[in-house]
Amino acid sequence: MEFIASVIAIAVAYQALRGYNLSKERTLLYLNLSFVLIGAGLLVDGLSDLIVLLARGERGFLFVFNLGYTINFLAQLLAYGLLVFAYLYQTRSPSSIALAALPVMFIQRNTLTELILIFLLVYVATQTAMNYSANKNVNALLVFGAFASLSIAHLFFLLYILIPTFFPLAHIAQLFGFLLLLAMLLRVNQPA
Amino acid sequence: MHVIQRENNEAKPTRILYGANLSHDRLIKYLDELKALGVIQETGTDDKVYSLTQKGIEFMNNFRKVESFASAFGFKI
Repeated sequence: MEFIASVIAIAVAYQALRGYNLSKERTLLYLNLSFVLIGAGLLVDGLSDLIVLLARGERGFLFVFNLGYTINFLAQLLAYGLLVFAYLYQTRSPSSIALAALPVMFIQRNTLTELILIFLLVYVATQTAMNYSANKNVNALLVFGAFASLSIAHLFFLLYILIPTFFPLAHIAQLFGFLLLLAMLLRVNQPA
Repeated sequence: MHVIQRENNEAKPTRILYGANLSHDRLIKYLDELKALGVIQETGTDDKVYSLTQKGIEFMNNFRKVESFASAFGFKI
């Protein structure tokens, strides 16, 4: 599922890059970089999960699982942080995003990492909700739905630490979010 | 270019002037730039009329897609 989400993220990044090349609008460049990071992170996480699966979950491969999660987490932290910055840049409000100095070590999925991502995603989802309420546009609704779904996915990842059942639900919610972004991309690229 | 497209791809300078809310000098400057880029052309024998070229039409289609994409995220261009 992460491979599919990764491909969709790269497709969104490509669309943003095309937009930036045409308009030279910086927010589109930030959107491009953000989704490149998301796509790369998901790809690495997916690959690490696949390796662990093929190794039949041998203990020795646990570090690969954690490495994949670490890279994905850092990529998403940067990506959603960049999106938050893009929204703030658009309003030109003075702000600085001070990223906490994260220790560079293999991080296990834990409450803190998921809470950080949820916080960033909820901010982005709120911005897209406000955009939808202003525009009442189907594409805006799809983007809001996508980020709401991604927020729920990370909430499920948080709950999975306590209850394993939430793990597949988290992946489904994540994939659903990216499918909504794909639907938006297809609508935007429809011939006039 | 929006104005020209709105006028069924043929617009006189006065129409563009009022539609785009430009001063006369700015209008001439932008029209010359757009002609140099090959996205508009001057037609008409007695009265000057401007229309979009094929390149201009393609540009406007692509720009429309970029606008839709950006506005879906709440970004204005």
